[in-house]
Amino acid sequence: MLMDAATLLDYLPVLLAGAVITLELTLFTLIGGLIIALPIAFARNAERPGPRWFAQSFVFFFRGAPLLVVLYLVYYGLPQIPGIKESPVWFLIARPMPIAILALSLNSAGFLTEIIAGALRNVPAGEIEAARAFGLSRLQTFARIIAPNATRLALRAYGNEAVFVLKGTAVVNFITITDLVGAANQVYFNTFDPFTPLFAAGAFYLVIVFAMLQLVRWAERRLNPWAFAAPSRERHR
Amino acid sequence: MDLALFSFGATGWGDELLAGLDLTLRLAVTSILTGTALGLVSALGEVAPVPLLGRLLETVNMVLRSVPELLVIFLIYYGAAIALAALLAPFGIAGLFEINRFWSGVLALALIHAAYASEVFRGAFLAVPVGEIDAARAFGMSPVLVFSRIRLPLAFRLAMPGLTNLVMTTLKSTPLVSAIGLQDLIRVAGDAGQNTKEYFQFYMATLVIYLGIAAVVLLLQSRSEHRLYRHLRTR
Repeated sequence: MLMDAATLLDYLPVLLAGAVITLELTLFTLIGGLIIALPIAFARNAERPGPRWFAQSFVFFFRGAPLLVVLYLVYYGLPQIPGIKESPVWFLIARPMPIAILALSLNSAGFLTEIIAGALRNVPAGEIEAARAFGLSRLQTFARIIAPNATRLALRAYGNEAVFVLKGTAVVNFITITDLVGAANQVYFNTFDPFTPLFAAGAFYLVIVFAMLQLVRWAERRLNPWAFAAPSRERHR
Repeated sequence: MDLALFSFGATGWGDELLAGLDLTLRLAVTSILTGTALGLVSALGEVAPVPLLGRLLETVNMVLRSVPELLVIFLIYYGAAIALAALLAPFGIAGLFEINRFWSGVLALALIHAAYASEVFRGAFLAVPVGEIDAARAFGMSPVLVFSRIRLPLAFRLAMPGLTNLVMTTLKSTPLVSAIGLQDLIRVAGDAGQNTKEYFQFYMATLVIYLGIAAVVLLLQSRSEHRLYRHLRTR
């Protein structure tokens, strides 16, 4: 028997508590990653070589480094910075959750930077020229032409990245946080039945992934209404 | 940076780290080769005109791509022993089985690698120009010959960039196997950090090693693409 209903019912609260932690980490990482990646994406497209070089190094660093190594570096490295334990930030980062969110956000920002910078570069130049010709200021051009266009272009890749963020959150088990995987692990140690908790946790992850992809699809419809308005001729593909 | 920490012998951690790196590399290479082969087989199953087989493989791969790597590693490490015990029980062989950690890690990483590689290979097979296959058939090539001389080489060429990206992804997943007690690079670095209280230096060294491997992979990628696409170059 692969799934045991009694075990599942008994330990459902444990798994749900783990799922809440996983969802929290995912949500805060998505926000944190975006906050870090946005300015770096602009630097990535800058004309001056200094910011561009910095952005490229950032991307190479966080895309090439394993997530667990980044997490350990932040978790064990931050307390070793001289004077940090007396500074006010220490109060904020002395717990594992903020540290995990910081490390996960940095890692995700490495991938997001490329997605956002690519989308910004691919906004049709003609549309920007037209906006400028109409007398829109730089800020207006950005807010009304570049930002909406780039959002449309980046959406699909962003959805995939969000799934990777969700999967990545499981590394927090290495720094004593009990997320969904950790909860399943606990149930295993209590019952010696690995299949029920791990399959249940897997089902939870599938549900979250489906919800995320559904959300991206909904946003795509909202942002590209014309693409979904009439039945496409390429439907049969 | 204190170089004495990384010296070889009883006082330094150089030899221990090297042993960890050796395990990490063996694990990565075995998982990537097995995973790529499994992915190719799975992609062929997905494009084969066999009812249900494609759907089944697609579902399994989709699940493997949606759950965290750590979950798959735990499932195989804990589950394989119990599955083996259940399988052998009818034959009167009872007892507790200890599944080899290394091969549990390899199996988990290879299955995940295969789930992604299958997607890459499937796209590549579907992108092989139909005209080339028609031409090969018109020349009287048997299906096996069409596959080995036309479809596979062309698809492989198309799949190459995607496959190298997967090499990087799987390489970066290898530290997760330290969760089932394998003494890989990051685990050794952690032990060294615990002993010397110099966590930062050892994890920094780990990071540099991983970035170095990544740079080598990227170099090999550009080299191999140079070779694979040499017929497309103008000069």
